[in-house]
Amino acid sequence: MVPLIATEFFKLRKRMMTWVVALILVGLVVLLYSVLWSASSRVQHFGEGRQFTGIDLRQALFLPGAVPYALQIVGTFGAILAIILAAGSIGSEYAWGTVRLMATVSSGRMKLILAKLVVVFGLTAVGTLLAVAAALTYSLIIALYYGNASASFLTAAFFRDQFAAYGRTLLVLTPYMTLAFAVAVLGRSTLAGVGTGMGVAFAEPLIDALMRTAGSPWKNIPDYLLNTNRQIILLQNKVPEVLPRLGGGGGDSAVHSPIVAGVILAGYAATFIAAALVLYRRRDIGSSQ
Amino acid sequence: MTLSQHLFYRRSIILAGGARRGGKLSERKEILRTEGLWKQYGAVTAVADMHLRVYEREVFSFLGPNGAGKSTTVGMILGLIRPTKGRVLVFDTDVAKHPWPVMKRVGAVIETPAFYPYLSGYDNLKALTIALQDVPKGRIEQMLELVGLDERGRDAYKTYSLGMKQRLGIASTLLRNPDLIILDEPTNGLDPAGTREVRELIPRLAREGHSVFLCSHLLHEVQAVSDRIAIVKQGRLIQEGTVEELLGRAEYLRLRADDMDALRRALGTISWVTGVESIDGYLRVAAPTARAAELNGVLAAQGILLSELAPSEMDLESVFLELTDEEVA
Repeated sequence: MVPLIATEFFKLRKRMMTWVVALILVGLVVLLYSVLWSASSRVQHFGEGRQFTGIDLRQALFLPGAVPYALQIVGTFGAILAIILAAGSIGSEYAWGTVRLMATVSSGRMKLILAKLVVVFGLTAVGTLLAVAAALTYSLIIALYYGNASASFLTAAFFRDQFAAYGRTLLVLTPYMTLAFAVAVLGRSTLAGVGTGMGVAFAEPLIDALMRTAGSPWKNIPDYLLNTNRQIILLQNKVPEVLPRLGGGGGDSAVHSPIVAGVILAGYAATFIAAALVLYRRRDIGSSQ
Repeated sequence: MTLSQHLFYRRSIILAGGARRGGKLSERKEILRTEGLWKQYGAVTAVADMHLRVYEREVFSFLGPNGAGKSTTVGMILGLIRPTKGRVLVFDTDVAKHPWPVMKRVGAVIETPAFYPYLSGYDNLKALTIALQDVPKGRIEQMLELVGLDERGRDAYKTYSLGMKQRLGIASTLLRNPDLIILDEPTNGLDPAGTREVRELIPRLAREGHSVFLCSHLLHEVQAVSDRIAIVKQGRLIQEGTVEELLGRAEYLRLRADDMDALRRALGTISWVTGVESIDGYLRVAAPTARAAELNGVLAAQGILLSELAPSEMDLESVFLELTDEEVA
């Protein structure tokens, strides 16, 4: 499978879309930090109880808080970009007709699909690191500007926490990524994958809220859907309280432990991967595909 | 030196050597065999009971009208489409059960070549070499030279003309130096010079030891390069044989007389004349060429003097149209 992974990496590395997606992610981090930095000197009080000051906000933008907040941004907006990357990696093959070409040079259909998923996941992981690097750089600039740069927070515990937060972020992205991929295989189209992935990412928080309002028997269903469990996982990332929480809400009802939420998300991802594998393996690759 | 001569010279260097084509079929090794191949899409039968044989070092042409099941058959040979019934053996290996050992020795361009539009021609071939692994270093440059794309190899595929895309398709097919080459409409989009180059290339590949499975609508080209031909219609194999066998399957005489109506009436009375067709001012008569003198005598006895009597040579196009009942557009 290594040659197929190398081929997929070569193709995605050479594709403009991959770099545009990475640039958008880094740009989002820079934009949000810029807005918050600007707000820290203009707005007096923050938080639901208006208990935080501009100085609290600025402090949160300094280095220790930069990594988890960048990861939270990736965990929320990065899903959209992972959806585009995943759906595009297989949907474009159908659109260009290269699905036949690749099928004849691959050592197995399942291996080809797995290679694609490995590369998309790898590039998502690299993109996440890029976003963190952008946040770190921005935080360092802010900290240096205010003469508050310090490396005292760089402890083993800090690195352990950030590594865990990084893993959690990738975990919450995976179901959306694999969903978009599976639907792109099903519909033989990038648009089908992106549309479904985006639809779930944006509409699910609204549907969750509706179901919870509707009461029994609807109210418990969202506990087993993607959004609630994603939020439960992301809440484990120690983001300073003063920073605005991103995403669609939910997940703070402590319906599951983070482990159960992780298992549910992993279950979704495994189901979507299995669906993509079975569909691609069993279906004919005819002249129109 | 013209471009065509130049390309021919470079090709000679690249493809020099190898065995000459020839020998009895029975002495040659079977490369591809389909056994009772069927493909059913609901109530529609795309391919029915297809039995094909392709031998080493031969150019085998697979012909049929649009929708006859050619691409479906090729798809099943390449393991892209699952047969409803039957099996495909390539190099004595069942493609459905062990596709990869087979595909490593097969190169194919299926219908219109499809490549990554954002990659250059060179990078498209490089992507394939990474997947294939065992492609020798320098092979990409060789293949781009072979098809005359060496000067445009670094340009994006999306900027290529149809002919250039077709050339890149042929280059990708030959990249792994395959034992079996499947070319589906390889001259589609090529200019006359390019068509001639491909026509020269195909028998050369066979002489080099490759087996070529060719699908084409250019029947004159097919007739010029093929050893054996199979014709399919509505998913069924209706004729298979060498070019000579197919062309000699029916004998015709070309007749002309002053009174063509009387000639036609007289021919209608002869029991061993099985068909009469009026073409361009003469009659094409289905009758054994060995009985031409006898026919002349019979007609003369009826007072019809022929101004022209000659064997009518059939070309592949005529045979194809007759077998498939295709109307000339």
